[in-house]
Amino acid sequence: MTRFRALYGAGPLNLLALLASFAIAGAAVVGWFQRPRDVVSVLVWFAAAIVLHDLVLLPLYSLLDRIAFGVAGKRLRGARRPDVSGLVNPTPYLRIPAILSGLLLAVFFPVIGGFGAQTELSASGIPESGYLARWLLATGVIFAASAIAYALAIARAGGPPATAGPPPGTAGPPPGTAGPPATPDPGPDQVLVDPRPAAPDQDQAAPSDGAAPTPTPD
Amino acid sequence: MRLPGVSASKPPPGPFREGFWRSPLRGPWLTAVLGLVLLIGLPIVIVTGLLSNDAYQPGLSTSNALGRDLGGPLDLYLFGWPTSPSWLYALTQGLHVTIGLALFPVVLAKLWSVIPRLFEWPPVRSPAHALERLSLALLVGGALFEFVTGILNIQYWYAFPFFFTQAHYYGAWVFTGAFLAHVAIKFGTMRTSLRTRRDVMAVGVAAPGGGAITSSGQDAPSLAATSPAPASMSRRALLGTVAAGSVLLALQGAGQSLGGPFRALAFLLPRGRTRPGPLGFPVNKTALAAGISGPSVGRAWRVVLVGQRSVSLSREQLLALPQHTYDLPIACVEGWSTTQRWSGVRLRDLASLCGVHGAATVTTMSLDPGTFGRASLGHEQVAADSSLLALRVNGLDLSLDHGFPARIISPAVPGVHCTKWVTNMTFRAVAE
Repeated sequence: MTRFRALYGAGPLNLLALLASFAIAGAAVVGWFQRPRDVVSVLVWFAAAIVLHDLVLLPLYSLLDRIAFGVAGKRLRGARRPDVSGLVNPTPYLRIPAILSGLLLAVFFPVIGGFGAQTELSASGIPESGYLARWLLATGVIFAASAIAYALAIARAGGPPATAGPPPGTAGPPPGTAGPPATPDPGPDQVLVDPRPAAPDQDQAAPSDGAAPTPTPD
Repeated sequence: MRLPGVSASKPPPGPFREGFWRSPLRGPWLTAVLGLVLLIGLPIVIVTGLLSNDAYQPGLSTSNALGRDLGGPLDLYLFGWPTSPSWLYALTQGLHVTIGLALFPVVLAKLWSVIPRLFEWPPVRSPAHALERLSLALLVGGALFEFVTGILNIQYWYAFPFFFTQAHYYGAWVFTGAFLAHVAIKFGTMRTSLRTRRDVMAVGVAAPGGGAITSSGQDAPSLAATSPAPASMSRRALLGTVAAGSVLLALQGAGQSLGGPFRALAFLLPRGRTRPGPLGFPVNKTALAAGISGPSVGRAWRVVLVGQRSVSLSREQLLALPQHTYDLPIACVEGWSTTQRWSGVRLRDLASLCGVHGAATVTTMSLDPGTFGRASLGHEQVAADSSLLALRVNGLDLSLDHGFPARIISPAVPGVHCTKWVTNMTFRAVAE
């Protein structure tokens, strides 16, 4: 048993579970061969799905996110934008609706782009149109909802960003104060207050060495 | 295990180095939460998919099997599909598509949370690790293949050069096998990661494995970044975003599945759309597309019933037989359904007319020569009170697009088995 573990790298049940899964996959590939003309394209799509997701789509959306919301992006915009740190961090209010709109596009691009329009017309007799406008409208509604949430968060935090100072009686620090503000418990789902340095909510992983991470882009 | 030319201590630059991955949100707890959601949700999608295969009753005829030869161990046909409740297939297939859509953002987030593992170094630590990675390729490839083909299919975009049903069915098996192995191997890790979230995550170490089957990943680096970038949103905000995405997509599926006034919720899905009027309910194949035209469905049209003897009936003769009316859904594999009021002659009355009494199956032929121009129903369907050769719907004669002069309507069967433009019905007596 110990020898098996040393040679194989895990227990025998691990090997059995994996062999069972390969047996099922093998039987499924045999099933695909019932339509021999289809097998190659099925396998190509299977492999392409992995490659396109892991090596194209995921890096692409990570890059877009970094350009839009990353440290480098912030630096690029830094000169033109007032420093709103210390009040409500606007990033999630832009990033979350952008993710949701992007998700709708990623899932429904065939209908948004009208790629199935001819098939639909022939199948249902109804011309397919207006889906691009529907997606744009949905995007608008999602961003509008986020804007309202942002306005409410600002109101709760005590005033609009980049004003001369918070209204009296609020906890926000005066502008120009060095360091992050005293962060109240953000609670579930609440957006973080100034993220610099890494002081996310208590559920966050902190850097193990305790040092402030360097704010360089990855 | 050592691989020649691979240095464990010195990975190549880029994503193979731990420092490359900087999101502070990644970590065992996040992956475990997403994994738990998938562990609950995916079995529903798998089981409803298998039920859909059963609802097609592939064992009844080659046309029902859609080209599969049913000889393999994965070609399950477990039981005769029930006829009650009539919305059974609308429910199972609505769940399949709706839950599937809702889980897609979770799958994407799960893959994002573990992407550093794709580049882990050394690429292979042991035989167990190599086999696990191979199984993960089947898991990820299977999941993406199934979601992508399904999502394209419900949008009428047949971009793939292969036959959907068969590719999706066996692809589901590739995925299911790898999914079961993955659950068996990682369940303990998931449970531990969920339980020990604070102390484990705070110091950024890997959660220890547990459970009967252990993973070879015990000595793998943690999913948490070793030098995380500053957080700009919380882990809970990320989970909230995923949940919001799931709700948005689930609304699409639920809207087309519930139909009627709820159809408007599915504002980005093209299936099951309606036109105004009592005959405006969805059409999934028009008469034009099926090549059905005037003369073949005119006064000369007859339906031929074949049993102990052959009987040929005109539409007037069918209308003279006892008529029955039922509210029944048409529910399609793409997850949309629509319930209408159908009137016509009971299938079992037609079986009696051609001398077939007792349990019998029926194979129906359409004037449409296409894939679904022939379909078989089991003895449960033929015996059901509400299984009709429908002549009228919502108080009006069928329209040509809805199958005039006569179409099948039967409770709880997939929509494509409700054959339109019926021209021949062959009843075969069976032992119950």
